[in-house]
Amino acid sequence: MAAAPKFAKTHEWIRLDDDGLATVGISAYAVEALTDLVFMQLPEVGRAVKAGESIGEIESVKAVSDFYAPVSGEVVEVNAALPGNLETLGQDPYGAGWLVRLRPSETGELAALLDQAAYDALVKSQPH
Amino acid sequence: MADASATSGLVAWWDEPAPGPENMAADELLAAEALALGRPLVRVYGWSEPTVSLGGFQRLADARAATMIAGLPLVRRPSGGGAIVHGTDLTYAVAVPRSHPWGGDPQVLYDAFHESLAEELRQRGVAAERHPGRSRAAGDEERFLCFDRRAQGDLVVRTAANTTDGDKILGSAQRRLRGAVLQHGSLLLEPPPIAAAHPGLLRLHPAAAAWDLRHLVTAWLTRVAAEAGGPLDTRLDDFAPSRAALMADAAARFRNPAWLSRR
Repeated sequence: MAAAPKFAKTHEWIRLDDDGLATVGISAYAVEALTDLVFMQLPEVGRAVKAGESIGEIESVKAVSDFYAPVSGEVVEVNAALPGNLETLGQDPYGAGWLVRLRPSETGELAALLDQAAYDALVKSQPH
Repeated sequence: MADASATSGLVAWWDEPAPGPENMAADELLAAEALALGRPLVRVYGWSEPTVSLGGFQRLADARAATMIAGLPLVRRPSGGGAIVHGTDLTYAVAVPRSHPWGGDPQVLYDAFHESLAEELRQRGVAAERHPGRSRAAGDEERFLCFDRRAQGDLVVRTAANTTDGDKILGSAQRRLRGAVLQHGSLLLEPPPIAAAHPGLLRLHPAAAAWDLRHLVTAWLTRVAAEAGGPLDTRLDDFAPSRAALMADAAARFRNPAWLSRR
């Protein structure tokens, strides 16, 4: 059974799957804050990324935001259907709205991320 | 450089006109400065020649196909939104740390600048208001020019000739960086030669031609600063990043064809 997701302070979630790969997405809070998504750029498969590095960009109505790799590793798969169906991000941010799958290279980095309770506390403290 | 000890209010620079890449580079460095100082910073500026700035993800092919802008220099902004033909507008960039009350919900920062200008203009007899519509009108992203689009909070002036959407005079767009938000905005003063359908403030309110533009902007930003809980600190010298080499590097990046053709 896949582990519970963990969260980066930059609002990405990551879940370690049974096959040892990690699925990454954007939290429901972040998707809601973006509103009216119009374009998304995903990374190339095979790209090596460092934790905290920008791995793509998303444009909502008149705002462009980056999203970041929660851990270091290699991009092994991207959700290629997502840029053409951006409404999926809002409908199912923790399921069909996933962004990329990574092969983590530094598994210890996962431990430094926020659990659900800590992330919820972070969201509560965000300026509105 | 700004005084880091006072973190409320607003520091604003009035910069000389510059080419597109230098303007974008200065704005990017403004964001780094705002993050370092922990306070909002504003840069108000012009363009050394008529220039088209594209939104961060607009297609270059669409710009090439827009024959009305043929021959004009192009620069791609880091911020989103539609293309702007600069030359008859006044451009501003505001950079805000993400930890600032304006660094959360994107609409809050739009509204802080747009409503403050609306208040100042209404006091001067201009029927300016924020566009009330939904955050994006249907098909809006298909429209190439920013001033053909209407988003929630855009500043419009309703006239007898345009009672539905109103004529847009101020639009803004953001780039949400890791530690800061950079917002670009354009106040249209007169119609761009290639887009005469956008009248701009001076056509909509001819009395505005007699106004001291710098006085108007100062009054506007003083209202914005009050929203941020402090005074307006105006710098009449150019915004000069502490390391000139950073500026040159950043401008080279915005001049790089790979940046312009990224989509």
